[in-house]
Amino acid sequence: MATWILGMSALFHDAAVALVRDGEVVAAAQEERFTRIKHDAELPVRAAEWALAEAGIDATELDHLVFYEKPLAKFQRILVNSVAEFPRAWRSFPRAMQTWLGRKLWIAGEISRTFRVPPHKLLFSEHHLSHAASAFLPSPFDEAAILTIDGVGEATTTAIWRGNRTAPHVEPVAEVVFPHSLGLFYSAMTAFLGFAVNEGEYKVMGMAAFGRPRFMEQMRALVRLREHGSFELDLDAFCWHWHPSESFTGKLVSILGEPRFPGAPFDPTTPEGQHWADIAASTQAMLEEAVLHVARYARERVDLPNLCLAGGVGLNAVANTRLAVEGPFDQLWVQPAAGDAGGALGAALWCWHDLLEHPRVLNQRYRCDLGRRWTDAESAEILQDLRAPREQLSPQQRLNRAVDDLTTGGVIGWFQGCAEYGPRALGHRSILADPRGAGTRDRVNARIKYREAFRPFAPAVTAEAADRYFDLHTALTGPVQYMVATGTVRPEYREELAAITHIDGSARVQVVHPEHSPLFHSLLEAFGERTGMPVLLNTSFNLKGDPMVDTPIDAVAALYSSDLDAVYVGCHRVTRSERIRGGDLRD
Amino acid sequence: MGKLRRTWLKLVSPLAWSRPGAERRFLASFSETERGSAVDMLAAAELTERRDLRRKYFIHALDETRHARLFARRAGDFGAESVRARAALNDANTLQAHGIVGGRSLFERYGELEFLAFVHRSEALAVEQFGVYHDLELLDEKTDQMLQNILRDEHFHVGYSRTELERYTRSGKGADVQRALRKVFWRRPWEAWMRFSVQIGHVVTSFWMTVLYLVVVAPFKLGAARERPGFRDVPPDPRSRMTAARGQG
Repeated sequence: MATWILGMSALFHDAAVALVRDGEVVAAAQEERFTRIKHDAELPVRAAEWALAEAGIDATELDHLVFYEKPLAKFQRILVNSVAEFPRAWRSFPRAMQTWLGRKLWIAGEISRTFRVPPHKLLFSEHHLSHAASAFLPSPFDEAAILTIDGVGEATTTAIWRGNRTAPHVEPVAEVVFPHSLGLFYSAMTAFLGFAVNEGEYKVMGMAAFGRPRFMEQMRALVRLREHGSFELDLDAFCWHWHPSESFTGKLVSILGEPRFPGAPFDPTTPEGQHWADIAASTQAMLEEAVLHVARYARERVDLPNLCLAGGVGLNAVANTRLAVEGPFDQLWVQPAAGDAGGALGAALWCWHDLLEHPRVLNQRYRCDLGRRWTDAESAEILQDLRAPREQLSPQQRLNRAVDDLTTGGVIGWFQGCAEYGPRALGHRSILADPRGAGTRDRVNARIKYREAFRPFAPAVTAEAADRYFDLHTALTGPVQYMVATGTVRPEYREELAAITHIDGSARVQVVHPEHSPLFHSLLEAFGERTGMPVLLNTSFNLKGDPMVDTPIDAVAALYSSDLDAVYVGCHRVTRSERIRGGDLRD
Repeated sequence: MGKLRRTWLKLVSPLAWSRPGAERRFLASFSETERGSAVDMLAAAELTERRDLRRKYFIHALDETRHARLFARRAGDFGAESVRARAALNDANTLQAHGIVGGRSLFERYGELEFLAFVHRSEALAVEQFGVYHDLELLDEKTDQMLQNILRDEHFHVGYSRTELERYTRSGKGADVQRALRKVFWRRPWEAWMRFSVQIGHVVTSFWMTVLYLVVVAPFKLGAARERPGFRDVPPDPRSRMTAARGQG
């Protein structure tokens, strides 16, 4: 009889579930895809319902439900910190108590009732343990050092682990605890630069490429690197440990000047724009220095050649690349859902391998397409109801038409197979365009994604052609399949591939293998046959502020709400009807 | 009640719109409401079993998405950027307030008929509210023009939802329609009261928690210290892994 384990993350951000059957992941999805609330933190009711239905089981058949962290340990940290920061935590304490006494302390009961899982089946992992498990257990390494870096879990902010061949597969080695946190440092700088925390970190990374790290002296005073891999933050410049809603203090302002006005236009050609870019560049460089510093210590403590990485900081593709290139490890593997969503997966796998003590089967290729899928018949029924213009195409026709669209300057939505688990679109819920020429980038930024002009787009390229266009470090063979690392666009192609070449010549490449993603690979090949370049601009299929599309209706809504030219939903090519847009069909 | 509300709106609106920053605040708030509504309409389009209605919900969702963007853009003209970062932070909470509760959209919670009644009433109120703003010339020309365009869509929303309710009535479900409309009518003041109660609860709890913090927690400060920076080894847990996993701490 099969053993079913449901891993779950919730109540901070990016609630998600991962359903594991006898150690194999059969379904995983974030709640935001169902509720359409970006980073939805609520209990993942709908994602769980879907996952169980997908597996054809009832909640009563679950052997274990594993929550990704320990609520009481987190509460203890909040209490202890409130006391340690007395009296200046007087505003955050009442707020935290309301949240915790009102709900979070009793979450075990709520989970048990909501998901109809008896209390004895309910287990609790630890926040960083879940991250570590999500990084190591699906990785291709039989042994590895593991590094988890994020804002804060229960109390841990950074941790080193050892990934073993036998149980315990994930073994703790050393940790840094709150309030010293590299993740919170980066988030505070994100807020300083006028972007939303937990959302705008990518923008800081993108902005950094426009600047020079000329504030490194100040940054090194803010994040002091100590011996034995340690780091110490200047806690007078930050206030996440005692303020309920702000993250930096007047001291940071006295060091770096006034913070950037949220939403203010960013023009790197102006002195003001250059100033912000330089702060972003310095922030990014500081994070990279600190991550390298920690990684060197991790190598000292766990003398293994490979490193697995997870936690929110693991989504910083630029830092990952520098870690791979300059760090002390031969190979790097990053969990593509490195943020809290991935904790659901880690919790479930940890339960299977370390609590139930089942050996690992080395997985040479981790699949990200674990989310919802729609059959062509289901899509057809919905599209018919919407009466949006559509054509039904054979597989070959679909490729040909998509390439026709792309080579004539079209931007298409590509909605195929199962949705990706994690924040990256890897050719299942993607917006695709011809990468040749900067005009495409500007159009996608301004009229489709409605986002800032400075933000770069990523390329997808066939594995066979990747080296021709991009300089990719050998240590990054794994990460470049999941867009969690960057490469350098070879100088001779930078002008031609302007839409995906960032200002510093870098690109967050996705290398597509035919055996891993056959349809997407075929599309790249077909595009390459027509243009000589099997490279596409690939960005997540969502509009600004929305989660990635998850249903055919979401996809068609995005088509009608933006300047997309067509959407490919399974075998259907859907286009816009001006009549719908103009409202004439309001019969 | 409609006349009473309209009179109330006529009295209050000039005061509300004359306050500094009113344009920015109201337009940003309208944008958030429309965005939440778009989420709900898309959910309805996905979940409805009435395939003839799916398209109307879909068009309605597209309208709301467009309105959200128009309101946000206009709010931006009045300097709403200053609240954008904060709004993005609170986005999930904002949307929760506009219908998504515990992962369930309005459609799932109300069902088709009551959802239609809700749409009809909400849209009718919006038409009335925006109409008052126009009649009293509270808005600048550009905003007023934008609102007039949006009103055209809102009239469509009122119209199709009314048509559908009438269709239910003709099919012998008149009593159900009336019940749904009554429920929707009374839900609004009830939810306003509930929100008010929660706010009062927060204020009272905050007060007592602050007192608790300043009086009871204070002595513990003597023995408390901030965690030291740097790596520390993780000691082995004496409990078995399964025992530890059963605990929340």
